[in-house]
Amino acid sequence: MIKKILLLVMIGNCIVMLSGCWSSKEITELMIVTGMGIDRDSDTGEYKVTVQIINPGEIASQTKTERLEVTTYQTTGESIYEVMRRFSTKVPRRMYLAHIQLVIFGEELAKEGIGKTLDFISRNHEFRTDFFILVSKNGKAEEVLNVLTPTEASPSVSLYSSINVSEKIWAPTKGVHLDELLNTLVSEGKHPVLTGVEVRGDKERGDTVSSLEQIKPAAVTKITGFAAFRNDKLVGWLTENESKGYNYIINNIKSTVGSIPCEDSGIIALDVKKIKTDLKTNVKSGKPSITIKTNIEADLGEIQCDMDLSKTSVIKQIEEDAAKQVQSLMEHSITKAKEDLKSDIFGFGETIHRQHPKAWKKLKGNWDETFQDLEISFDMNYEIRRIGTISNSFQKVIK
Amino acid sequence: MSLSGKFFKAKSQPSQGQQNQSNQTSQNQDNQQKDFLKESIQTNLDDNLTKLKNLLGNSSDVVSRTFILSGKRSIHLAVIYIDGLADSKSIQHFILESMMLKCEEKLQQSPRAEEFSIIKDFAITIGEIKTVNTWEDVSNSIMSGDSAVLIDGYAVAIITGTKGWQDRGVTEPTSQNIVRGPKDGFSETLRTNTALIRRRIRDVNLRVDSKNVGTVTKTDIAVMYIEGIADPEIVKEVHSRIDKINIDAILESGYIEELIQDETYTPFPTVYSTERPDVIIANILEGRVGIIVDGTPFALTVPAIFTEFFHASEDYYQRADFSTLVRILRLSSFLLTLLVPAAYIAVTTFHQEMLPTRLLISLAAAREGVPFPAIVEVLIMEITFEILREAGVRLPRAVGSAISIVGALVIGEAAVQAGLVSSAMVIVVSFTAITSFVIPSYNFTMAVRMLRFLYIGLAATFGLYGIILGLMALVLHMCSLRSFGVPYMESFGPFNKQDQKDSLFRLPMKKMLTRPKLIGTANNVRQTPVDQYEEKK
Repeated sequence: MIKKILLLVMIGNCIVMLSGCWSSKEITELMIVTGMGIDRDSDTGEYKVTVQIINPGEIASQTKTERLEVTTYQTTGESIYEVMRRFSTKVPRRMYLAHIQLVIFGEELAKEGIGKTLDFISRNHEFRTDFFILVSKNGKAEEVLNVLTPTEASPSVSLYSSINVSEKIWAPTKGVHLDELLNTLVSEGKHPVLTGVEVRGDKERGDTVSSLEQIKPAAVTKITGFAAFRNDKLVGWLTENESKGYNYIINNIKSTVGSIPCEDSGIIALDVKKIKTDLKTNVKSGKPSITIKTNIEADLGEIQCDMDLSKTSVIKQIEEDAAKQVQSLMEHSITKAKEDLKSDIFGFGETIHRQHPKAWKKLKGNWDETFQDLEISFDMNYEIRRIGTISNSFQKVIK
Repeated sequence: MSLSGKFFKAKSQPSQGQQNQSNQTSQNQDNQQKDFLKESIQTNLDDNLTKLKNLLGNSSDVVSRTFILSGKRSIHLAVIYIDGLADSKSIQHFILESMMLKCEEKLQQSPRAEEFSIIKDFAITIGEIKTVNTWEDVSNSIMSGDSAVLIDGYAVAIITGTKGWQDRGVTEPTSQNIVRGPKDGFSETLRTNTALIRRRIRDVNLRVDSKNVGTVTKTDIAVMYIEGIADPEIVKEVHSRIDKINIDAILESGYIEELIQDETYTPFPTVYSTERPDVIIANILEGRVGIIVDGTPFALTVPAIFTEFFHASEDYYQRADFSTLVRILRLSSFLLTLLVPAAYIAVTTFHQEMLPTRLLISLAAAREGVPFPAIVEVLIMEITFEILREAGVRLPRAVGSAISIVGALVIGEAAVQAGLVSSAMVIVVSFTAITSFVIPSYNFTMAVRMLRFLYIGLAATFGLYGIILGLMALVLHMCSLRSFGVPYMESFGPFNKQDQKDSLFRLPMKKMLTRPKLIGTANNVRQTPVDQYEEKK
């Protein structure tokens, strides 16, 4: 009995002592990477990777020194994997990638194609899929990572939350996660878009503390319109309005603000509460067409002009104007995609594939050309639900 | 280990278990004494007193008072009792005074043949009285506080119930406090304790079976149950397990608990112990068997099941909804106190990706500068806490404040300031400490205290994977336990819908219609449903 117990204890000890801890890594042995930027080094043609890491010691309030809470490191190499290992020659700890918030591509690299770099990101086991992938507009990825932000210690975390908030309440914004990007890249009949980001202000001073020592930071990062891709190559940028139209079409707006001009002067702002867009495809004798059916519910948010809101006809008029306005937004972005980008970023092809799989087999061969002549019609339904706590505006009385 | 070894031996050969331990000479002495104890009392008083003196030695607390009554002849008598155990006032008033002053006349008038019955039935004015004729009975009675009256010429002793020693009295229990409910607690005297129970159960079927365990201490034990509610099989089993015990001393009910429990090698208690009479009564009413041991305020009930250790008597005195929430709180505290340090290690050394980024950054900030790996940090703090707790329990009251000051400094401020441990770790340790106190049963907490370190080890070697493996093993182990034939996880595994009313949940009293299914088998119905609305009509 006792021998048996001793044997069991010894076996248990062996299991624990011989195998234990092999994959353990203490927090204090890790560098938590929050942002990663990938550029093409123009001199050598190698990849230039910038990582933004957290200095935990500086975040703990008690042991604060003059050092910054974040640091960026940069290294070049032929493959991203090689670069990540080469970092060990510069940093004292192991890079830990699971908490990456952002992966940013430089515009130059994005134009060449991002496909090759994505392999490492999707293959590496440490990466989660919940970070945002961005393209740095008019600049390099490193520039975005080198801007200090006032409220958040880590600029990456700051930008991450900014995208999260913005995509809920501001129509032109949408964050793109890795899994969505990969799905779009491999699907036929849809080309990806990525969120654009740019640095506004003094890029040179953005990476120093002095930037934050003034009430208006010297440089800030700003989310811009979408970067549109054809396959994995950047082909152009959408403006704010075009981005808004894009999000209307792909049914990706949770709430936003729409504004239409009044008859005289001033504008009416509409608090858009509910948007539902359905794509109806039709294939007649091999020629596809698409109907975009949009239902919008909105409240009146702000009226700067003299209108009699007690009349239903006035409300009807506003609804019609607003619907027209949304339609024109959509038309604009479609025109841009058709004529300028020549890329089906909306996934119309994918919708046809889903709704008319047989017809798609014939269409998919030269979809990019077919898309440019795609017939698109609109079915708008705009409803105003509430007019707020006052009825007629007092603008008239002020005069 | 050695104690349980004795237990196994005692089980197989109950008559010899103890004697094997003692050496040859004391064995001879023992045997001589035993033979003498079996002998009968003789008629000659002087002989008897000499023999008694040989038996008891020259103990200073043995009082032997001889006196003479003049009846038809002069009758030599002796009263023997132990000072401190017997109530000397009642001996003085109801034995000595009544014999010396009131019965001489009667003795002189009556024939000589009646003198014994006059002394026994007329002179001794004490309720509890009996006659015995062996030395064993005499010595046992004297040792338990009664007094023996020996009369010259008669080979019997009259044992009078004069028990009356100093008692702590019924005071508030110290180990289990409640806000609402009876405040009385058991004391060290068996009779007081059985009386506390009997006072609340005025049912003729309440049985108090007496037992005497311990070859030297001869400790009184009462087995209490309600006939017709308790499972007769369990009652029989309790009797037989107690009868098998052959040990020199029972100093506390913990001895009995260890000697009768089903499984020795488990951290979990399978016998319930409490110093609250209302808990024992409630358990007896559910069909359990209570075991009360003389000399300790802690009484036992069996069978004990897992959920029982998460119930407090107050659960039944306050609102059902609140009690249910509190029980859920206790069960989650049990899991937390078991797993929080382990989870801290697992998450910070193996699964950093599981934490939200901001939390990881805060943790990393807290851990920055700590020179030890997380496991060492956890062990330092947990062991420090266990030391403080152990010191605090056995500390003389006068130095109590010292430990709290030093403890707070060591475990809190100083350790963090010195950079030896992180502030996050201090939170983890305090949290485990506080949650461990939520479990109402102290001896169940001990199981958790031990198992916590096992999980810390598992977490440090295998991460969350190890914790889950450990939890599976724990569940398997708990499901394999039995307490007097009743599965330890009763009402969960085997699942029993009817008993859910009073395990994790506590349904309103109106819904608690039955006793626990596997325990109160003999009479399962507790109340007939009352329909309030019909009554009102």
